Amino acid sequence: MQPGGVITGMGIVSSTGKNIEEFGSSLRAGRPGIGRLSTGEEPALPVDIGAPIPPFSLPLAIQVGTERHGLTEEFARKAVRCAYDAPRGVQVSVLSAIEAWTCARLIDKPIAPGRVGIVIAGSNLNPDYAYGLQSKFRRSPQYVSPKYAFRYLDTDHVGTLSEILAIRGEGFTVGGASASGNVAIIKALQLLQLDLADACLVVGALTDLSPLEWQAFYNVGAMGGKKFAGQPAKACRPFDRDHEGFIYGQASACLVLESSLSAGRRGVPALAELAGGALVLAGNRLADPSVAGEVQAMQQALARAGIGPHQVDYLNAHGTSSPLGDETEIQAVKEVFAGHISRLWINSTKGLTGHCLSAAGVVETIASVIQMREGFVHPNINLENPIDHECRFCGHQAVPASIDTAMNNSFGFGGINTSLIIKKGDERIWKSE
Amino acid sequence: MNENEIFQVVKNVTLEVLPFIPPDLVILEGSLKDLGANSIDRMEVVTRTMETLGLNVPLLEFGRVKDLRGLVEVFARFVK
Repeated sequence: MQPGGVITGMGIVSSTGKNIEEFGSSLRAGRPGIGRLSTGEEPALPVDIGAPIPPFSLPLAIQVGTERHGLTEEFARKAVRCAYDAPRGVQVSVLSAIEAWTCARLIDKPIAPGRVGIVIAGSNLNPDYAYGLQSKFRRSPQYVSPKYAFRYLDTDHVGTLSEILAIRGEGFTVGGASASGNVAIIKALQLLQLDLADACLVVGALTDLSPLEWQAFYNVGAMGGKKFAGQPAKACRPFDRDHEGFIYGQASACLVLESSLSAGRRGVPALAELAGGALVLAGNRLADPSVAGEVQAMQQALARAGIGPHQVDYLNAHGTSSPLGDETEIQAVKEVFAGHISRLWINSTKGLTGHCLSAAGVVETIASVIQMREGFVHPNINLENPIDHECRFCGHQAVPASIDTAMNNSFGFGGINTSLIIKKGDERIWKSE
Repeated sequence: MNENEIFQVVKNVTLEVLPFIPPDLVILEGSLKDLGANSIDRMEVVTRTMETLGLNVPLLEFGRVKDLRGLVEVFARFVK
């Protein structure tokens, strides 16, 4: 089995920034992407608070991206051609993937196409696309767009990205509800460890909810935004006594996860090391968070990384702002980090980005890497009355911090518990190979 | 609606589906395939043209179409 993986590229399109640089400065400033939104359609959304990706033009965004990264006109033309008529979710995957791919220097220091894989995080990514075609289908089914037959598939992300980036290794989607991002990272790491690939593009894909899912999340009591209906920026409050459910956020986030051997061969720096990850089922199909399942995921991730809890400096919590979820996670974290809890920095990126569902694990891994590299912990902007007084939650301002090791938790409906251990990028990681 | 008008509809739809091609290249003697349309693009052109013209042409009718002229002729047979 090959040693662990390193992160050599990152890219993002989110409500708080359309690239890594903007996203990083929003983290540091505690600038949320959460606001009021309206579809203008009937029936109206039950809660009109969320963190949407601002409207964009794909050809323009690709043009800007290719200029920024010094790519050829031919590359830009191909990217536009493959994705101009794709659903929005695939389009933002293309943008975040181009940023990660160039960050990893896969254009000028390429890897054999057959040794690169793609893992897309998430399933049921595109319900809004289907929802938008329903009325035409009911009125005149013969005019339903033929391309829906393949554009509705989650694997359209795989096909489109593989064509643009000429990837020929393994490619697939993995689902893990809100933990999908971490599940994808774990599966990509395993591809590297099994020596089935030298590098993997991991894409936390946009979950484009339709009003139908909004309503169901609201009806089941999972969605927040009621108490703070008049103050959208205050609605997402992980670990605060006034938390009342998640706030939906949109993002596409992309990592290039590469074997340390390959990164060393290519001479590209490791932004961070992915030291270990674990996925543990709690054995229940509901939205019923389990302390035992979460504890096991965190402990297994630590064991696989070969470290103890006292070596973790920072936790990027799952922290969705859901009362039961937040309380369960804190209970589990206190069990795992007993004796170290006062030294462990904790924040939840969802307080700024909203809950990016399938993409969340990748968004938050990127947030963790940025904080480690730049030496700060981003604020919990709405944490006014913490539900726990032993935990070291970051306050309303970013705090300078030296983070060598981070943990990133993601938990999903259906008892899907995941945890990752990320270590600071260290040139020795690959130079010693 | 005469064939020339139908061709204008087909041309507009083709440029909507394939926004990258120079409009001058869409001519009666040319084929969608030559313009770079893949099989799904071609079905998209057919479906959107039917919708614009308010037609419901059985897909079998398009089996022998070789160029845009042939496509226009099929639509013309169904236009009242």
